[in-house]
Amino acid sequence: MNKGFRQSQAFLHTWSGLLLGWVLFLVFVTGTIAFWRDGMNRWMRPELAPIEQPMQVLDGAQRFLSSKAPDAKSWFITMPSASTAGAQLFWVPQPKAGEKGRGRRGRRDNQALIGADGEPTTVRATRGGEFFYRFHFDLHYMPVIWARWIVGVAAMMMLVAILSGIVTHKKIFKDFFTLRRRKGQRSWLDGHNAVAVLGLPFHLMITYTGLVTLMALLMPWAVVANYADGDALPRQLFPYPQAVERTGIPAPLVPLTAIVRDAETRLGGPVGFIEVREAGDAASQVVVSRSPASMLSSRTPSLAYAGTTGKLVWTSPVPGGATTTAGAMIGLHAGRFADTVVRWIYFLCGVAGTLMVATGLVLWTVKRREKLPDPNRPHFGFILVERLNVAVLAGFPLGVAAMFWANRLLPVAMRGRAEWEIHVLFLAWAAAAVLSFVRRPAHAWVMILGSTGVLLAILPFYNMAGTPRGIVTALVTGDLLMAGVDLTMLVFGIAFLWAAARVARYRPKVRERSKRAYAELPNPVLEPAE
Amino acid sequence: MSALALLLITAAFALFGLATDPHHRVRFGRIPRAARKRQLRLGAWAALAFAFPLSVGARGWIMGSILWSGYVMLGAGLVFLALNFLPVSGTTYFAKRD
Repeated sequence: MNKGFRQSQAFLHTWSGLLLGWVLFLVFVTGTIAFWRDGMNRWMRPELAPIEQPMQVLDGAQRFLSSKAPDAKSWFITMPSASTAGAQLFWVPQPKAGEKGRGRRGRRDNQALIGADGEPTTVRATRGGEFFYRFHFDLHYMPVIWARWIVGVAAMMMLVAILSGIVTHKKIFKDFFTLRRRKGQRSWLDGHNAVAVLGLPFHLMITYTGLVTLMALLMPWAVVANYADGDALPRQLFPYPQAVERTGIPAPLVPLTAIVRDAETRLGGPVGFIEVREAGDAASQVVVSRSPASMLSSRTPSLAYAGTTGKLVWTSPVPGGATTTAGAMIGLHAGRFADTVVRWIYFLCGVAGTLMVATGLVLWTVKRREKLPDPNRPHFGFILVERLNVAVLAGFPLGVAAMFWANRLLPVAMRGRAEWEIHVLFLAWAAAAVLSFVRRPAHAWVMILGSTGVLLAILPFYNMAGTPRGIVTALVTGDLLMAGVDLTMLVFGIAFLWAAARVARYRPKVRERSKRAYAELPNPVLEPAE
Repeated sequence: MSALALLLITAAFALFGLATDPHHRVRFGRIPRAARKRQLRLGAWAALAFAFPLSVGARGWIMGSILWSGYVMLGAGLVFLALNFLPVSGTTYFAKRD
C-alpha cells in the first residue's frame, strides 16, 4: 500500500485515539458494566430476593396501586422477571385544577417497589445499574445535551481511530495470533492489536450503532427537513394509542395478569412494560409492550386493552423498514435481547474494547519515552498524557470500586443516599487524580491499581458476611446472577492486583542499553505506528 | 447444537493459528510446508463455514447469526490465549524454539 497514505492514517489513528481517548475509556467502562444493568440493579439492592413468580408479583402490584392510587391518571409497571430487581412502579396522580397536566413533579413520592412476595417493600436508595447505563451516554454533573455531544464526538473519533487503525496496523491479520511477551513496546503493541482485532467485529458494530443511537442529535437535518411538526416523528417512531377521556363513572379493572397472558400470546414474547391509563374509570385502558429482552429490535410492539373488559382495542402498526433497521441497530448496541451466553460475549468484548483504548493510550507514552531528548525531564505534553493516563485509566476503576463499597456501607437512612453513592465514586476518582499528579507515575500506578484490586477482591467476602446474597448462598439457592457478579468482581480484583504487581516489578531499561539492543535488531526502523 | 458450533469455531481458529510459522514451530518443532499450511487453512475455513448453519439451526436466522459472530470472537480469543499462554509439553519447545 502507498506509504504516504499509511503514514497519514497512522497520524490520524494516533491523534483521533488520543484526544478523546480518556472520554472513550469512561464510556467503554460504564457501557461494559451496563451490559449487566439488571444484574447490577439486583446486586446493589441485596435485600431483594430474586423473583420466582412474576405473575404473583404483578398481582401484588395491581393490589397495591388499586389501594394507593385508585383514580390515578396513569400507573406504570415494569413487568417483573427473574432478572429484574422486584417490580418498579410509579403513578401520575390526576392533575389538580389549574395545574399543568404533565405530572413528572413529585415522581419521587409516587413510586414503589414490589418484592418477590408480591408485597411493597423498601430497599436502600440507590441508582443501581441505571447509573452505569446513564453515565455511558449522559456522563454526570452536566446537562445531558452537552454530555451526548461529547460522547457523540468521541464515538466519531473512535470510528475514525478504528478504521485508520486497520490501515495503520497493517499486519494485524497476518500477526493475528502473535503475542511477543516481555518485549516492552512490542508487547504493548501486540496486546493493543490483539484486543482490537479479536473483538474487531464488536468494536466496529458497537461504535457504529452507538452513533446510530445519537443520530437525531448529531445529524438532525433529515428530521428538520421532513417533519415540520416536532411531535410527528416521535408519534411515528413510537406509536401509542390516543389518550383516553375520563368518564367519571367508576369501574373495576380486570386482573392485569389476564391481560398480560393474552398479550404474550399475541406479541409472541414476554411483556416488558405496562401502563394503566385512567385507573378505576369506565374508560380505563391498559397498554402493554413487548420486552426488549425478547427481540432484537429495540422498537418493541405494543397492544392496548379496554381496562374494564380486557378486550383488545388497539394494535401498534407494523413498523416500516427504516424503523426496523434503526431499532435493530440500537437493539444490537444495547444487547437487551442477549441470553446469558451472548451477554457474556458482549461483556468480554466490552472488556477487550476497554483494554484496546487503555493500551492505546499507554502506547502513546511508551513509544515516545524512548525518543525523549532527556528522559528525566520530558516535555509538558508527555507529562500531561502520562499523568492523565494514571488519573483516568487507574483512577476511574478505583472510583467504581469505591462506589460499590459505598452501596454496601452508607447508612440506609442517609439523606440523598443514592446521590452520595455517586459522589463517593467521584471523590475517590478525584483523590486518585490528585495522587497521580503529585506522585511519580510508577508509584501512582501501583498505589491506585493495588487499591482497586484490594477493594474489589474483598467485596465478595464482605457480601458473604454482610448480605443475604453472598456467593455461597447464591450458588446454593441457584441465584447464578448474584454469584456471577461477585465472582466477576473477585476475578477483576485479582487482575488489578496482578497489574499492580507487574508495574511494581517493572524496571525500565537503562537508555544506553536499550539503544544498543535497538541497533542490534535486524530491521531497526519501526513503522511509525505499526 | 450451538455448543458444537463453538467447538467447531474454536477448532477453526486453532487450525488458523497453527498454520502460522511461529506457532507451528513452537507446537510441532518445525516450520510448516506451504501445502500443509494450505490444508490447515482450508480445514479452518470449512469448520467456520459449517458452524454457521449450526448456529442458525439452533437460534434462528437473526439470533443465530449474532451468536455465530459472537462465537467467532470468543473462539479466536480462546485460541489466542491458549497458543500464547499454554505451556508446551516435551522437549521440542526448548530444543527448537529459537
